[in-house]
Amino acid sequence: MLPKLEYSSPKTLEELFEVLEKYQEKAKILAGGTDLLVSLRDRVEKARHLVDIKKIKELDRLEYRKGEGLIIGATVTLRRILESQLIREKYPVLWEAVKTIGDVILKNRATLVGNICNASPAADSAPALLVLEANVRIVSKEGSREVPIDKFFTGVKKTILRSGEVVKEVVVPEPPSNSFGRYLKMMRVWSEDLAIVGVAGLGYREGRELRVRLAYSSVAPTPLRIREAEEAFTRDGTMEERIERAVQVASQRVSPISDVRGSAEYRLNLVKVLTRRLLKQMVEVV
Amino acid sequence: MKYVGKPIQRIDAYEKVTGFAEYAGDLELPGMLYAKLLLSPYAHARIRSIDISNALKIQGVVTIATGEDFPFRVGLYVNDRYILARKKVRWIGEPVAAVVAEDLETAEEAVELIRVEYDPLPPVLDVRDALKHDAPLVHEELGEYAHSPAFNPIPGTNIANRFVVKKGNIEDGFRKSDVIVENEFFMPQVSHVPMEPHVCIGQYLKDGSIKLWTSAQSPFAIRYILGYSLGIPLHKISVYVPYVGGGFGGKAGINFEPLVALLSKKAGYRPVKLELTREEQFMTAPVRQGFYGKIKTGVTRDGRIMAKKIFYAFDAGAYADYGVNIGRAAGYSCTGPYYVPNLEGESLTVYTNHPWGTAFRGFGHFEFLWAIERQMEIVAAEIGMDPVEFRLKNALLPGLTTATGEKLREDAGRVDQCIRAVAEKIGWGTPPVKISSSKVRAKGIAALWKAPAMPPNAASAAIIKLNEDGTILLSVGVTEIGQGTVTALAQIVAEELSVPVEKIKVVPFRHTDLTPYSWQTVASRNLFMEGRAVIRAARDAKEQILDIASQVLRTPKDDLVIEDEKVYVKGRPEWSIYLKDLAAGYVYPDGNTIGGPIIGRGYYVGSRLTYLDPETGQGYPALKWTFGAQAVEIELDEETGEVKILKIVSAFDVGKAVNPLLVEGQIIGGGVQSLSLGMWEEYRYDENGKMLNPNLTDYKIARAGDIPEEYEIVVIENPQKDGPYGARGVAELAMLSVPPAVANAIFHATGININNLPLTFENIWRALNKGE
Amino acid sequence: MEKKKITFKINGVEKTVEVAPNKTLLWLIREELKLKGTKKACERGDCGLCTVLLNGEPVKSCLVLAVEVDGSEIVTVEGLSRDGELTELQKAFIEHGALQCGFCTPAFLIVGHWLINRNPRPSKEEVVEALNGLLCRCTGYRPIIEAILSVSKAKK
Ligand SMILES: Cc1cc2nc3c(=O)[nH]c(=O)nc-3n(C[C@H](O)[C@H](O)[C@H](O)COP(=O)(O)OP(=O)(O)OC[C@H]3O[C@@H](n4cnc5c(N)ncnc54)[C@H](O)[C@@H]3O)c2cc1C
Repeated sequence: MLPKLEYSSPKTLEELFEVLEKYQEKAKILAGGTDLLVSLRDRVEKARHLVDIKKIKELDRLEYRKGEGLIIGATVTLRRILESQLIREKYPVLWEAVKTIGDVILKNRATLVGNICNASPAADSAPALLVLEANVRIVSKEGSREVPIDKFFTGVKKTILRSGEVVKEVVVPEPPSNSFGRYLKMMRVWSEDLAIVGVAGLGYREGRELRVRLAYSSVAPTPLRIREAEEAFTRDGTMEERIERAVQVASQRVSPISDVRGSAEYRLNLVKVLTRRLLKQMVEVV
Repeated sequence: MKYVGKPIQRIDAYEKVTGFAEYAGDLELPGMLYAKLLLSPYAHARIRSIDISNALKIQGVVTIATGEDFPFRVGLYVNDRYILARKKVRWIGEPVAAVVAEDLETAEEAVELIRVEYDPLPPVLDVRDALKHDAPLVHEELGEYAHSPAFNPIPGTNIANRFVVKKGNIEDGFRKSDVIVENEFFMPQVSHVPMEPHVCIGQYLKDGSIKLWTSAQSPFAIRYILGYSLGIPLHKISVYVPYVGGGFGGKAGINFEPLVALLSKKAGYRPVKLELTREEQFMTAPVRQGFYGKIKTGVTRDGRIMAKKIFYAFDAGAYADYGVNIGRAAGYSCTGPYYVPNLEGESLTVYTNHPWGTAFRGFGHFEFLWAIERQMEIVAAEIGMDPVEFRLKNALLPGLTTATGEKLREDAGRVDQCIRAVAEKIGWGTPPVKISSSKVRAKGIAALWKAPAMPPNAASAAIIKLNEDGTILLSVGVTEIGQGTVTALAQIVAEELSVPVEKIKVVPFRHTDLTPYSWQTVASRNLFMEGRAVIRAARDAKEQILDIASQVLRTPKDDLVIEDEKVYVKGRPEWSIYLKDLAAGYVYPDGNTIGGPIIGRGYYVGSRLTYLDPETGQGYPALKWTFGAQAVEIELDEETGEVKILKIVSAFDVGKAVNPLLVEGQIIGGGVQSLSLGMWEEYRYDENGKMLNPNLTDYKIARAGDIPEEYEIVVIENPQKDGPYGARGVAELAMLSVPPAVANAIFHATGININNLPLTFENIWRALNKGE
Repeated sequence: MEKKKITFKINGVEKTVEVAPNKTLLWLIREELKLKGTKKACERGDCGLCTVLLNGEPVKSCLVLAVEVDGSEIVTVEGLSRDGELTELQKAFIEHGALQCGFCTPAFLIVGHWLINRNPRPSKEEVVEALNGLLCRCTGYRPIIEAILSVSKAKK
């Protein structure tokens, strides 16, 4: 059973800030609850005041603005993201990543912002947001700030969020034109699982040059973008050589652990195999 | 036949699709209390002290029990288990104390406040280590435990049972062999994962009687053991079992029923409910035993098996009260469905400090067939023979003798036909196909057999009552755990008494006060045994009906026919009487009445089954052998180890498919369960023996997206003359031998032998990259 | 822990109850409202057997707080068929042998009904995807998939 709890459901950001101020560390944001309720039941989460944000209209935004990009509010469910044809076409790496999260039923509740705020190394949406260079809009009583997603995660289940701060939305900028994105996720089964390793890639042309961005889940304490591997790919050589160089660098930069989902050795192998496969596709498609 | 052999819909379906089917966890009783268990954090330790004082102070806590409150041992075949741990804990997850409170939340809160001091002991966490001379003893008092005469525990060791089988002359056999091949095989402990976790409610009454409501497969076994262990006469114990939300053997023995009964007594005779969470289901409910096997096979160049030396060791975990029978069953079937003229087999059930093992669908066989069917493949390759041909050449056919010296009856099932059928349907004989730089497709085959693992005196019974309107009530002891036996039994009644199935009700619950005896709902024995009992009960009812009808119709009994709910005179259908008019006695127009309520009864026990010789294992253990074979086609990704199952073909010689819809359901469901267990499932432990994946997030079982794209079923029907309408059991058989078929396919794809389960993607990858 | 008063509709009937904030929707359904068709089997979103419709969408009721459903509409397996007449899908489950022990059946029916309502002709892949959030240990899933597809085919 869940521990004894208190619950409030503010209707505006102002009310939300008040509740957060009042309860400080005791308070925890409740979005879809698909992470939070499990960790409360496991007694891993110590907070005992849940602040449900689903009634706050301002957080419900899912909107694309030319030039600015895609805005995904804190209460936007994964289901809504998957149903957006625009996201599917314009941000395929994000769409693919979201598709792999949990299952159809779960996606009716789970949110994208919850996925990143939970800050699991296995968060599937994170590598996609990393290669898309998304920004996180954070609000609090004091005001607001915008942080690039690669500065957002600070450790296993840790983010830069301070007490009283809330993620309002994620902003995904316009991807480079004619880019191609993919998320490859290796699971223990075919149907549904957390990632043993996930790799997001974004390929695009800068002039005639093929550029790639690479980011990973479940290979380090946080979701990880590996710019060194991207650079290794950029330098001279045949495509084959460039790919292998990137694969090598990526496999040196990751620091996977062994756990019930996979050993460090296996994860390392998957980093190589999936990176290679992804880059080959980039070369073919872009 | 009008009803037998037809795909009739399940008789319990309406309740189950509307949500009204009753399961034990749905029950609430007046004054009911809730129990919560405190589990041991040590695999092996002495309990120094338990302090419950703080927990008792919580408002709403009614009582707290520890092992010292209940100095009784229970067990099915060996009395090796206390109700709550006493003096010692033997696995991480063993119940040490139980809180009873007004509500679950309070019980959970109080459990946290119990303080236990332990003196850790060195644990035994590997079955091979447990057999070493200096291994710590899991049960120092093994010699004192009462046990059934069929078993042979060895005090002073961790061996809960040693079973030996000897046939022919093994030295001679190996001498005559051209090639000798020896291999080792391994399988971890796994969970049944019934969708409904264990749940039971118990009430102890002041007059010393006990009432139980439980999710259990075998109410009569529970009643018997409880009576034996607590010294309570059986008429004072009643066990009620509604629908069971999946059993698979995990609910076959006696589990938490004694605990809730005794907690009720301690809590002032109020009913007490214990419902395991999923985590507790993994940690504290019984599991399937782990397995280690070593097989040495001698063959001639032309593919005749001359000799086998077999060693099986089952990792029984902390207790083996049911578990001893698993090693025994694996022992007497140890050869698999092949003729082996010279044999030495040893099958041990070994205590360790792992979770305790119990029956699991196909028990012993799922385990040793992994070894046998892998070994067959390896040996065939060694002598350069096609593995299908090799299997056919050594197939155990009617007239040949089994390991225990039983000559296979002439109407036995035919493993050769099953092997041929799956080989044909999978398209056996084509080489593996490379479909991309990393992916290859290949096929694999494995055969199987099993007989019900039960004592010779396992009995079944049935009662048929004719209602006043001509409808019929059938009462049997087999529980409805999903397998659908009762639907098939209703069909048999319909056939025997010529009454439509819709007019037959099988009593949907079991209650030991009302239900006729059944030894257990296990072992794929119930269609066969209850089936025979039902036929006899129907014929008994028929005799009673004809007795009265003969008087009413003034015609000798042998000139009467029962058909379409009527009795009539042969050749004179107009001289007839409705069954309903005979149901409770026939009333003449003037009020005179003859006869009385019709109640048919029947029983069945196996004929001429014997205990097995303790020295040689020779004897007759098997009511019937069911044979089968599985074939798979896989797609393997050599870079990641991923295996996708494209197709499974299953063939079973079921004798007679009384209900083809149910047979198919068992075969597909069993096949997917087998696949899931073989590929993904495993208790993962840390170095202290703590389970690392006690939830369905990390203990993966197959989902809809994991099943084979194609599934083909071949039902072979060589009737067994003493089976009901020729039928044999198939429910357990359905889940045998899929894993070796997959591993054999991997072998054909890559030349690599994998002899350890599970075949996780990572383990496959590891095996393929061992050389690098 | 203060109880909260919530009002909602379940299977067409309006209810008002007081519930503590740490109670899940699953608890509300089984323990407070005594609707036992919705099953509890893992309480962490893995098995999906507690799935019900919340405002027309399937949710795993163990991962929803009861207090969150104030003002909502809930449908459980008991609300699928009215007056004892089975739905097409319920009939199809029976015909295809899509149930054995029956413990998971309510959840599969809930998801099956939802799927067919919003997508009358789902592909096999879509059916499988929708069912991936649910566990069944008896049937091997295949008969369930076939039952759902048979209804969708019948619905032209
Ligand atoms: C069965 C199952 C399968 C799953 N499979 C996957 C998977 O495949 N891949 C994967 O990545 N995840 C998976 N998850 C985890 C989870 O579903 C996702 O991380 C989901 O996106 C979390 O969203 P939520 O809205 O439910 O978050 P919640 O549980 O509501 O919140 C998660 C955390 O973020 C905090 N939070 C939420 N919103 C905000 C905000 N606006 N500002 C500040 N903090 C906030 C919460 O306080 C909490 O600590 C799975 C979970 C389950 C139960």
